[in-house]
Amino acid sequence: MSTLNIGGSQIDTSWFLLLSAVLFILGTTGVLVRRNPLVILISIELMMNAANLALVTFSRQLQNMDGQLFALMSMTVAAAEAVVGLAILVDIFRTRDAEDVDDLSELRG
Amino acid sequence: MTNQTLALLILLFPVAGAILLAGRGWRLPRIFTVIIGPGVVWASFVCVLALFSGKAHGDFTYWSWIKSGSLDVPFNLLIDNLSIFMCLVITGVGGLIVTYSVGYMEREDDPSYARFFVYMDIFIFSMLLLVLAGNFIFLIVGWAMVGLSSYLLIGFWYQRHSAVVAARKAFVMNVIGDVGMILGTFVLFVNLHAITYSGVFQAVPHTDNGNLELAACLLLVGAVAKSAQLPLHTWLPDAMEGPTPVSALIHAATMVTAGVYLVGRMYPIYDVAVYAHGAVAIIGAVTALFAATIAIVQTDIKRVLAYSTMSQIGYMFLAVGIGAYAAGFFHLLSHAFFKALLFMAAGNVIHAMHDEQDMRKYGGLWGQMRPTSISFLVGSLSLVGVIPFVGFFSKEQILGLAFSKPNDSLALIVWIIGAATALITGFYTGRMWWMSFWGKPSPQRPVEHPHAPSLVMMVPVGILAVLATVGGLLQTRALGSFGPSLVNDFLAPAVGPLRWEGDWSEVVIGLSTMVLATALFLAAMRIRPWSAYVPWAQRMLERKYYFDEIYDASFVRPMDAVAGFALRGIEEPVIDAAVVDTGLLARAGAASLSLTQSGYFRNYVLVFVGGAVVAAVILLLRASS
Repeated sequence: MSTLNIGGSQIDTSWFLLLSAVLFILGTTGVLVRRNPLVILISIELMMNAANLALVTFSRQLQNMDGQLFALMSMTVAAAEAVVGLAILVDIFRTRDAEDVDDLSELRG
Repeated sequence: MTNQTLALLILLFPVAGAILLAGRGWRLPRIFTVIIGPGVVWASFVCVLALFSGKAHGDFTYWSWIKSGSLDVPFNLLIDNLSIFMCLVITGVGGLIVTYSVGYMEREDDPSYARFFVYMDIFIFSMLLLVLAGNFIFLIVGWAMVGLSSYLLIGFWYQRHSAVVAARKAFVMNVIGDVGMILGTFVLFVNLHAITYSGVFQAVPHTDNGNLELAACLLLVGAVAKSAQLPLHTWLPDAMEGPTPVSALIHAATMVTAGVYLVGRMYPIYDVAVYAHGAVAIIGAVTALFAATIAIVQTDIKRVLAYSTMSQIGYMFLAVGIGAYAAGFFHLLSHAFFKALLFMAAGNVIHAMHDEQDMRKYGGLWGQMRPTSISFLVGSLSLVGVIPFVGFFSKEQILGLAFSKPNDSLALIVWIIGAATALITGFYTGRMWWMSFWGKPSPQRPVEHPHAPSLVMMVPVGILAVLATVGGLLQTRALGSFGPSLVNDFLAPAVGPLRWEGDWSEVVIGLSTMVLATALFLAAMRIRPWSAYVPWAQRMLERKYYFDEIYDASFVRPMDAVAGFALRGIEEPVIDAAVVDTGLLARAGAASLSLTQSGYFRNYVLVFVGGAVVAAVILLLRASS
């Protein structure tokens, strides 16, 4: 079992991964069960951050900077995604005042 | 201006007029159409006159149209006395008729008015191209375009079902002729390796007769269809659905004589191909008699004139068929005068009677429409062949030449038929004249006091009446070989001189025919209800010898049956079904797949997450094994 040195104290790596997994599952559950589009977006952000945490964790453990770089990259993409997603949301609210994603189901076959 | 430019200008004027009117005519004031429409025809007439007075002749090549291996089709116009003669008839009589239309079509609204003159100018162009063409390709182009403009003009009143049907019938019949023309040209090209007239005629003496007979017969199919001769004649009476000036121009004076022109132009071939040549004479004679008998019972004034036209063209075929080419062309000229006159005078009557064409509903017009009646009488007497009208000189010359042709029993047979036809002509013309103009007004007459025709309609009629009266002075050969013989002399360089000389006996025969025909003309006033005694003949003539019924039963209905079977037996159950079923299959597939699309966001996410979990499980299992 490997450990990470965080502020002088040794913490087991699996705790970080466990936290990441919990956050990811929280995000996924949020996306699946919540209906407010804004909350869904926030949940997606949560999932991305969970992934970022996992990336950084492995980066520290393996002493390889690639993971951290990738986390930075991921944050950039998340920012862009938030911009686009929020813009779409604003537009939807403007035209139809939908507070429930289930109302947006015109593509049903 | 050189002759070469003039010859091209003859063609360019009408086509320019048609383009101008088609593009702008209906948006501009009517006076524009009135000037351009007939004006361009008269401009062409002036060009023809210039060529005529300059004694122009030549084979002018303008540019190469198609060049491929041994096939070299130039765009060339042949100017000789025959084509100038035809152009004079087309632009001269045509100009009078197009001018007449200015008055006749005045009730049309502006777009239709302009459309009419567009079609007329296109027709004049096509007809001029037909007679000026110096090779077979452009002959066929003109030939087909003449058929097209005839189709457009017969169907001019396209709101009438009967006009559309008549136009279609004329077009189909003409296309049968076009096919004959094209096949004939193929035969000539394959055997003689030439496509221009000069090339073909030079090669004729070195070609074997069988091929020439075949080509001549195929060309004859074209001539028969265009000139409404038996057995491809059924379209001409129906073509009377068109406006009356159209009937005068296309279905009397010019287009239907194209067949005569063709045989005359191809005389080097027909002189060699004796069987085809004999067929021309027989077809002409039989058609002349056949059409004249039908004309006896018709009651529609234009249909009587239509059958009379077929009959007179039969005379022309008879003449060119026995080798009296110039006589045939003299009758063409004379017929253009008096038949256009008859049609336009009849047009005056129809115009005044608000489009009523049934002669039984006229009567008594002599007192009320005097100038028109006199013109119609001049035309009628000319048609019957009374001295001194032009019809006498042209018709009796044909009959005289047929009678006096030495050592030719065929000529004698066609003479008998022709003379019998002349007598019947006297009768049906008399019947038409007395019924329409003499006696008391019919109680069913649509108009009590018919209006006099306008000046623009009366002047062309008057000019043609004068021409039909004095035109005979061009050639008085029917009264003996003294006197002028201008048409024969003019055409001799193009179609050869007269091949035999007649004697006094033919003059005697001609005069007695005339006397008998005139007697029948007068008798027609009294013996009108003749048909009550022979009802079966009456019925047969009224049904026009059942030609329409026979064609209907032997061609139209079998074709309809085949087409109906193809529709219901092949098209619908096989081809349509295959196409439709393919479409239905795709639709059903799409419908079943579209069930997976709920439109709910969370369902998609669930599937996505589920997929990711499955993928992760698989990866873990593989890593652990």
